[in-house]
Amino acid sequence: MFNKGKNGSVTEGQVLDVLKRVQDPDLHKDIVSLGFIRNIKIENGNVAFDLNLTTPACPVKDQMRDEAVALVKGLAGVSDVAINMTAEVRQAPQMDKTALKGVKNIVAVGSGKGGVGKSTIAVNIAASLAAQGAAVGLLDGDIYGPTMPIMLGVEHPPKSVGPRMIPIEASGLRFMSMGLLVKSDQPLIWRGPMAHRALQQCLFDVDWGELDYLIVDLPPGTGDVHLTLAQQVPLTGAVIVSTPQDVGLRISLKTLRMFQQTRVPILGIVENMSYYICPHCDSRDYIFGEGGGKRAAAELGIPFFGEVPLDVAIRKQSDLGSPIVVAMPDAPSSKVLREIAQKVAQQVSIRSFEAPVLEVE
Amino acid sequence: MSSSMQATTPTKIKKIGPSELQILWADGHETRHFAQILRGLCPCASCRDEMTGVRVILPIHIPDTLEFRKIGLVGQYAVHFDFSDNHGTGIYSFEYLRELCRCDICTARDAEKK
Repeated sequence: MFNKGKNGSVTEGQVLDVLKRVQDPDLHKDIVSLGFIRNIKIENGNVAFDLNLTTPACPVKDQMRDEAVALVKGLAGVSDVAINMTAEVRQAPQMDKTALKGVKNIVAVGSGKGGVGKSTIAVNIAASLAAQGAAVGLLDGDIYGPTMPIMLGVEHPPKSVGPRMIPIEASGLRFMSMGLLVKSDQPLIWRGPMAHRALQQCLFDVDWGELDYLIVDLPPGTGDVHLTLAQQVPLTGAVIVSTPQDVGLRISLKTLRMFQQTRVPILGIVENMSYYICPHCDSRDYIFGEGGGKRAAAELGIPFFGEVPLDVAIRKQSDLGSPIVVAMPDAPSSKVLREIAQKVAQQVSIRSFEAPVLEVE
Repeated sequence: MSSSMQATTPTKIKKIGPSELQILWADGHETRHFAQILRGLCPCASCRDEMTGVRVILPIHIPDTLEFRKIGLVGQYAVHFDFSDNHGTGIYSFEYLRELCRCDICTARDAEKK
């Protein structure tokens, strides 16, 4: 089908033909049909092209690149292969075209009860995605107990341009929290409508700009903020954080059901405080029981994203205002958190391919 | 997607007249809704008693000249309408909109159930 080029050199058609054998394991299609291959250049047997993935945090990025290199190198007349890895996060089909038009995906992070480390997980997922090259926003939606300003070491209120607030840049993120708008020791004693309005402001009156992911850290439980979020924006999906304890999990299920009722796809479960590593003997102690999150995920048929240990370093970095994945990227816990962030990005990519498009005229 | 999910997932919602709405569903079904009926079956707390579920407003209370002013999505699970009588507090879940389908097929099936 493809003619040999001049002097027996390889042609673009041959390269594309052989690359069709590389499958994206998540999207179940080959990388040529998915349109991932761009800017093919062939010169004297040297082949170069861009491999444009759906997220810079793709967990199978290296695997796909290695496979592509091997296949193209196997072609007659090819002496060298150079692949430039790029990424373009797809916009969720139902994203609001007016208010948050630059935001491609909104991901909520929720939990059934408080104190499971939801904000810690959210900030580290967000910072990991940003560190891998994505444009990420983080909205602290926990209006009653905003802790994000501490975790990111930000205290000053955001600047405004006209009626819109400018998010604060910290740890590679664009960040906004109700905690920045009130004095840190001042409690917010609000009824539902006030909470609703506050979240709306943080979403729509903030100049988020172009974002691949906007991560929203929810308050615990199923309340006004959750309902407002599920009704006001088309969420790409939600991540549930739980501890391994049965009690913690059972309550997390309520949050999960709420998302299902409002048709927010559950991207997966993160288990936090899974085990404690003894600083003296390095043995693992499963204080709250072992494998609870994994079992629940399997029963519910949703992805399990991983187990985050109880690690003094995670807590310290959060208190210091610099998330562990940024401050200590090589720490074992950072690796776990980074892999979780990659799995979140992977699920978001799958969802944006699968989600049905709804036209309203 | 499961078949029950397909039956309650719209692929197109279109206003085809001032008072008439067309909904195409992922399972291929088509529903026509009229402003008078949807307004009369509004699921909001002032049209249907929150505690007892007894309807305060029914379609017979609504003039057939009532129109849709605005149609919008609520998250990704429901639709919101502003009607020409200035009412607009109802959140119509996709399930509810499918349940209210009064096409020949759905009417016959509902009659059989009763």
